[in-house]
Amino acid sequence: MGRRYPLFSYLILFVAVFFPNRLLFADNLSCLICHESLKGTYVTGKGVESSLHVNGDKFAASVHGDLECTNCHVRYEDNPHSLPEESADLALNRIAEAIAKKSPVDPVAQAACSQCHPDIYEEVRQSVHGVNIFQKKEIDGALCLDCHGSPHEIVHAADAGHHSSESPVAYGRIVETCGRCHEKKSVSLKYGFSTKIIERYDESFHGKKYHLGGNDLPVCTTCHGAHNIRAQSDPAAMVYGANKIELCGQCHAGANTKFVAAITHKPIGKDNPIPYYAEKGLILLTFLVISGCAIHIVLDIFSLIRQAAQVRRRRRNEVARNESSVAG
Amino acid sequence: MKSHAMSLPSQADALPQEVERFDLHFRIQHVIMLTTFLLLFFTGWALKFSEVETSQTWIRFWGGAKTAGIIHRAAGILMLLDGLYHVAYLVYRFAKGKLRFDLVPVWKDVVDFYQNVLYFLGASQEKPRFRRFTYLQKFDYWAVFWGVFVIGTSGLALAFPTKAALFFPAWTTNWIWELIYIMHSDEALLAIVFILFWHFYNEHLRPEVFPMSWVWITGKVSVSELREHYPAEFERLFPEAGDEGAVGEGPGVSV
Repeated sequence: MGRRYPLFSYLILFVAVFFPNRLLFADNLSCLICHESLKGTYVTGKGVESSLHVNGDKFAASVHGDLECTNCHVRYEDNPHSLPEESADLALNRIAEAIAKKSPVDPVAQAACSQCHPDIYEEVRQSVHGVNIFQKKEIDGALCLDCHGSPHEIVHAADAGHHSSESPVAYGRIVETCGRCHEKKSVSLKYGFSTKIIERYDESFHGKKYHLGGNDLPVCTTCHGAHNIRAQSDPAAMVYGANKIELCGQCHAGANTKFVAAITHKPIGKDNPIPYYAEKGLILLTFLVISGCAIHIVLDIFSLIRQAAQVRRRRRNEVARNESSVAG
Repeated sequence: MKSHAMSLPSQADALPQEVERFDLHFRIQHVIMLTTFLLLFFTGWALKFSEVETSQTWIRFWGGAKTAGIIHRAAGILMLLDGLYHVAYLVYRFAKGKLRFDLVPVWKDVVDFYQNVLYFLGASQEKPRFRRFTYLQKFDYWAVFWGVFVIGTSGLALAFPTKAALFFPAWTTNWIWELIYIMHSDEALLAIVFILFWHFYNEHLRPEVFPMSWVWITGKVSVSELREHYPAEFERLFPEAGDEGAVGEGPGVSV
């Protein structure tokens, strides 16, 4: 150990000169010296591909910028790391065990969110996403980082209605974020929901105005909730039965059962023949009308050109006749 | 058609310069129609194609999604009122005995169409002898009538969905919203493309009217224009006048 100290102090000096802001969180400095320069991915002993890179600037700017690395990475207290041991406290280990299949790299660090955000973590565990992970031991379903992005770069989601924010859960990006899983056909088929949820949202008036920059439109989380999201079939879901009438009524005063039937996110298929064939019929009508008009117009144009040519020919003939009569 | 070799200048002198084709009410109705149509087109098009990037910029020009929506609804309601104004005025004229049903499609329109296609193809040298309204204009008129009804009713339901829901029977709710949406959106696309093709070509781009027929402002056409384009109507108005007369040598003169 002793021989490494001169080198180490040179490093600190180097950093102090060139990256003075690093010293503001000097406790993390020793971690970042290596982890900022570690680029690319590596494969863990269990065969999982993982990145060791941490962007120090973004971490400092993130909402967690004043935490210490080891607040979450509780198993990596010594440097250089010995093999992680089960040193974390018991509660954290229990969560880590439950999510180990989903987060194989450092499940303890992933479980560590619950230390500061216990209520939200509990909500997530009860949600349709959480149940799938904690009880059914599936790997599908969102945990903290799936929606909030890299734990080292979490920023505040801007206020509702804002379209420009780095946060993946901000108003302007949440639909895209939910879509990362909910646009996947495999996920939709496995859990039996519509494969066109995002597409149908984008085609709805809500989605259209949202994408045009509107800031008072409902997004996924407005109607389905975020941490507390439930399956549509769950009586506790915001969109279940009478709950949906109350939910829609928050914006549409006087909403009733017949009104809330408008939003289903289902594609218009043959199983809904009236709109399906009405659309086909209107497309056919448009095609027939427009092609009929186009043919009529083209015929008209050709005829106009022919007439103009006739007139010109007649004039030329007259001129020629006059000239020949003059010459004669 | 008999060819009149001799023109009758004495009678042509007795003809008025112009005849009124659309009175002030119809002209006002048309101006409201075209203004609201363009507003609805401009704000609605970006909504229909919201996934296109330029739509966002375009909608910002109209004051953002919310303002554009308010403009769209206001223009839609104004267009519906314009339609009511039109129908009410027609009823008024009917009561006064002044309404002629010359926009109603009749068998002659089919014959005219056939004759016109033959003329276009060069198979006939004779243009159809149109009455006051050609089959092209009738098509234009009834397309608007149909469009305002279909797009207007569906638009009202979309603008006031909670009210509209009260009128829908419960067994329709699985499809009625999709149907209304399709009716509004696809029919509007048809209307826009139709106007751009048909109305723009026939009333703006054809050489004889380019850049536009001014009848929408003046309401009047010259008698020579009337005689050239609507010979049957000319004959009805001036049964004494000859067939050729002082009509200028346009490209459409038959030999």
